[in-house]
Amino acid sequence: MFTHRIDLAGAAVFVAVMALLPMLLDNSYLTGVLTVAIIYAIWAVSWDFMSGLTGRENFGHALFIGAGAYTAGFMNTVWGISGWWAIPSAMVVASLFALVVGFPTLRLKGPYFALAMLSASAIMERLMLIFWEYTGGEEGINGIEPLIFSQLGFYYFALAVLVVCTAVLVLLARSNWGLILRAIRGDEATCQAAGLNVTWYKIASLVISAAIAGAGGAMYAQYQLQVSPQVFTVVLSITVITMVYVGGMSSIWGPVGGAILLVMLTELLRDFGEWRLLIYSVTLILILFYLPQGLVAPTWNRLKARLGGSA
Amino acid sequence: MVEILIQGAVSSAIYAMLAVGFTLIFGVARILNLAHGSFYALGAYGTYVLTTLGLPLVPAALVSIAFVALFGVVMERVLVRPMRRKSLLAVLMITLAVALAIEQVLFLTFGSEYRNVPSMVTAKYELFGVGIAGQRLFTVISAIVLIGALWLFIQHTRLGSAILAISQDPDAAQYMGIPSDRIFALVMAMSAALAAAAGILAGPFLTVQPTMWLLPIIKAFAIVVVGGLGSIPGSILAALMLGYAETIVAYTISSGWTEIISVLATLLMLIFRPAGMFGKRAAF
Repeated sequence: MFTHRIDLAGAAVFVAVMALLPMLLDNSYLTGVLTVAIIYAIWAVSWDFMSGLTGRENFGHALFIGAGAYTAGFMNTVWGISGWWAIPSAMVVASLFALVVGFPTLRLKGPYFALAMLSASAIMERLMLIFWEYTGGEEGINGIEPLIFSQLGFYYFALAVLVVCTAVLVLLARSNWGLILRAIRGDEATCQAAGLNVTWYKIASLVISAAIAGAGGAMYAQYQLQVSPQVFTVVLSITVITMVYVGGMSSIWGPVGGAILLVMLTELLRDFGEWRLLIYSVTLILILFYLPQGLVAPTWNRLKARLGGSA
Repeated sequence: MVEILIQGAVSSAIYAMLAVGFTLIFGVARILNLAHGSFYALGAYGTYVLTTLGLPLVPAALVSIAFVALFGVVMERVLVRPMRRKSLLAVLMITLAVALAIEQVLFLTFGSEYRNVPSMVTAKYELFGVGIAGQRLFTVISAIVLIGALWLFIQHTRLGSAILAISQDPDAAQYMGIPSDRIFALVMAMSAALAAAAGILAGPFLTVQPTMWLLPIIKAFAIVVVGGLGSIPGSILAALMLGYAETIVAYTISSGWTEIISVLATLLMLIFRPAGMFGKRAAF
């Protein structure tokens, strides 16, 4: 009970710091960096909910992100629908993609799901380039209207979305549902023998994960005011996965820290901008070898143990 | 019609060279190697570098193939082997990270512009009234020769029997005194060399640039799903099917839709027959 209260206090401090930072810094460039970090955090959290809990790693999260971003782009520029409708629509479209890839692959054991997600996202990137008459090709869709005109307003909106998504997913992960997902990671055959519809649980959590990633994708489009095939790349999926690994897999909230940490780190190394993706892939390799538990979540747990000990 | 026959043969030859190596290292060592496409890219880039340095083409190609094979062996020993003990997914993750790191290193060294790999055969031939570049014809012949040699090696030599034994039952093979670690290294070298050769052969008529690893790995995955993971005859047949399906779609509908075939084939196959045409296990 007590440790639970420390977790809540930690979360409150984190949200307060994130809320005050843009006011203290009073720098629109840094606020922009923080906004992007928050959107990455939304993607990382949603990845972790499905893949971290069930252990079925998704190598193509960009499929959902891109589906959401292009939905927002098309709705706003082609059909002229208000941006507030774009987010729920993006969630629906991303969920449909989740069903199309999840249904054939999540019934099976083995690596099919991971690889099919990778293939689907990479092919979507190609299709965006090939059908450039409709998608704008390399340049993508430009001239999307901002959702909220004030930059600070959008920042707080994104922060609120992140807090709500993380809270909901953490609660889900601590509920019976989360317990079942963890059990699936532990021993799928036993779960099946216990009469659980394992496939249904996996597909449902993929749909939740996709919907949140799609919402994040739509927000990304509305923040950048344009969408390009970049949102479908394998590189983006790997960036999100690296953030989760740095944060600590299957903790849900750890990846938030991982996302903010990595975005800040690459900001510090801005002079080496070209090296960013190499740094990410090497970080991922090193984490896989030396810190399989990640960085953020274990650090917090150790800190918590010390706080609890002294109280 | 004849154009479709010839062009389909060229695509199928490249796909087969990629898919056979990809499925072989999986069948033997249970390594699903997402860096397989990087071997293909490194082969092409290696030849590009060595020929621009002034080496004649054939030695440059052979040195690149040897280098890529060595790289594959080192990667397997240093990065993949520790992960193999954890899980199949850890292997996937580490090889994907390696593939991305290689893409970025190529990008930082050579930039994103297309590079030229010289053709082995520059002459043009006429086949049933259709002109065909010698390099494409040479690619088809090389693929047949290389895959045929690999097949004979596996079926008819002592080492080949050891490879087959491990792929059938790794534990039993180990008890019989087959040094599985050394066999893995050998298979990795062969699989990497075959992919590098595909890159060198296809380099002159396909684009050589840092992201060239990605589509081949997607095609290879689709092929092994259709053919059955771990089955060499299955992957050759599936490579022919994908190569011809893509060519037919490109000629009759539009080249834009070719890319979607591989993903569609993967998903449909997983719905209706997850084991593939020649797979032994329904789901491993």
